[in-house]
Amino acid sequence: MTPETAVVQALNGISFGALLFILAAGLSLVFGMMDVVNLAHGAFYMLGAYIALTIVQRTGQFWLALVLAPLLIGALGLVIEPLLLRRLRGRHLDQVLLTIGVSLVIADLIGLTWGREIRSIPFPAGLDHAITIVGGDYPVYRLFVIAFGAALAVVLAVVHRRTRVGALIRAGVDDAPMLAALGVDIDRLFAITFAVGAALAGLAGVIAAPVFGIYPGMDVDYLIYSLVVVVVGGLGTLSGAVAGSALIGPVDTFGKVLFPQFALALIFAVMALVLLMRPTGLLGRIRIAR
Amino acid sequence: MDENSGAERRAYRLTRRRFLAVSSAAAALAACAPAATPGPSGASVAPTATPGPPLKIGMLLPFTKVYAELGNSMQRATKLYLKQKGDALANRPVTVIYEDEANDPVVGAQKTQKFIDSDRVDLMMGIVATPIAYAVRNAIDAAKLIFIETNAGGNALTRTTTDCKPSCKSKYIFRSSFSSYQISYPIGEYFATQKGVKEVFTFVADYGFGNESAADFTSGFTKGGGKITGSLKAPLGSADFLPFVTQLKGQQTKDIYSFFSGTDAINYIKAWTQLGMTASGYKMNGAGFLTEQDVLKEVGDQANGATTSLFWAVTLDNAENKAFVDAYQKEYSLLPDVFAVQAWDGMQAVDLALQAVKGDTSNKDAFIAALENVKFKSPRGDFEFDKETHNPIQDIYIREVKVQSGQAVNTIVGKVARVTDPGK
Repeated sequence: MTPETAVVQALNGISFGALLFILAAGLSLVFGMMDVVNLAHGAFYMLGAYIALTIVQRTGQFWLALVLAPLLIGALGLVIEPLLLRRLRGRHLDQVLLTIGVSLVIADLIGLTWGREIRSIPFPAGLDHAITIVGGDYPVYRLFVIAFGAALAVVLAVVHRRTRVGALIRAGVDDAPMLAALGVDIDRLFAITFAVGAALAGLAGVIAAPVFGIYPGMDVDYLIYSLVVVVVGGLGTLSGAVAGSALIGPVDTFGKVLFPQFALALIFAVMALVLLMRPTGLLGRIRIAR
Repeated sequence: MDENSGAERRAYRLTRRRFLAVSSAAAALAACAPAATPGPSGASVAPTATPGPPLKIGMLLPFTKVYAELGNSMQRATKLYLKQKGDALANRPVTVIYEDEANDPVVGAQKTQKFIDSDRVDLMMGIVATPIAYAVRNAIDAAKLIFIETNAGGNALTRTTTDCKPSCKSKYIFRSSFSSYQISYPIGEYFATQKGVKEVFTFVADYGFGNESAADFTSGFTKGGGKITGSLKAPLGSADFLPFVTQLKGQQTKDIYSFFSGTDAINYIKAWTQLGMTASGYKMNGAGFLTEQDVLKEVGDQANGATTSLFWAVTLDNAENKAFVDAYQKEYSLLPDVFAVQAWDGMQAVDLALQAVKGDTSNKDAFIAALENVKFKSPRGDFEFDKETHNPIQDIYIREVKVQSGQAVNTIVGKVARVTDPGK
């Protein structure tokens, strides 16, 4: 690999990692707050991509899709949490099982509504060209993904550390019953958290749609990636999602081109290694079983 | 405390039982559905003479997962063919039992066993993915069930192999589609001898079919005097193709041969465009699925100039193709794809063979001989089975993507006549 190619591959890896972060942030948030591994996260991601498809087909506005799709999916999350998950609060495995059911229903409804053909949307105008980096063309959209992922990380960190909502979420992660006892409407907080998690998945779906295509089965493919990221980074913390995606994105990219035979196993090997050395993940906290 | 948790458990069990009741009712409903669907249309058509005994065809296709649209396409072609024939072949009213193989060899094997044991079908058709075809080959052979493969192109299914690994031909198995040799070897030879290409770099999906395609292309190309300068493989379902195209751009050989289909092909072509490969002098080539309609309608002119080989193109200029494309468009308001052609030809072969034996499928050997002898004009051109392998003998077209009146289409630029699989 020439140095130029290595630089470009590093950029590819970082941009893939940035996308994984957008996807994994929501999963991590919901897990941290509600102790639920939301296996419908992939389905929300897929739904985001399909809603973006319709909006782009109707209006040609990618940016409208980027705003509208997460809002719609957030609203869906706001319905699903009180309607389904709340009934099983405290029964974590049952909740996980329920989210699998939700994901199957969403994936099948998508098949019924949009059909089962493979689809794609064009890159948004203004980001569809390439610029010269280290003597070769590099697509601007990938740089946009990196910038977007970084900006989102900053915004989430500020909300998490500096706002009242962030404080409530941090308190909820630590001890939800105590928070409820202090008079905070924990039901509302859980519903909002779940909705924000779902919206983030939808956001990732919109961002990924021009690059990775839109197809039946995309929900499972990316659910697995996002699970690997949050497990490697540390369950339930924002910094964990950052660390996990910063590691997994480049590892996956370089692995695919350097050891193609081994590529699929590589990220799992890394995950196993991390878990052996740090069972809570890179930046995970030790959770006290309650 | 204890009592409490007992009560909770009891409540839990109750809901679970209720859940079981509901779900089994739903399952029973679902089981009724396939039998109910084909019924009504058959009743309205009155065959001339007294109809013969019903003919049951078991059709195993993917209706879920990534290949669902291929299954839908083949189902549409099958239904259209039967509709044109008044839902009867050789005076036998036809019932088609559709099952979903879900792109899973285990599911495929279960459904095949269902066709054999409980449905007792007269013949079986379908299967998209090669691993599933390989997985059910022995069961079909042992049951002496006549099976028309309508897609999976793995070479071994119609070949003599040592110890039948990974699969091998069977006298009961025919294929109405292609073998991967047929869509890869001729274009390799054509590139070296006709197009004057000296060097090619291969980049394929890293699974059985992609590797087979690369190997067959390589042997055709090197036999014609060409040189393969290197190869790269992408694990199946690699979402991000930018890293691979970056590698392609990092090497000097301009002609790239690829095997990808579906989403992979779309992502590959978009990454190709993003890195400005065509502008840098690189040329995209491959087996035909790289630029079939499902891909072209999503990438449009980004595939402009790509050269691929396949046994059919929607633009192919012959009377049968025109009639087929027109009828299909009239029925479904969309263009047929190559998968529809494969299923259509499978039905056509069955129809003609049935007529030759006057609808009698009880004598298997006579029916097999009749299938071996069918010859007809297909939308792809002349169609017949190779008697040795049961794989079709067919013309392979070299096609180039061109933009005509704003639409990207495969135009025919060359032809390799009567390609047959070597059979070993």
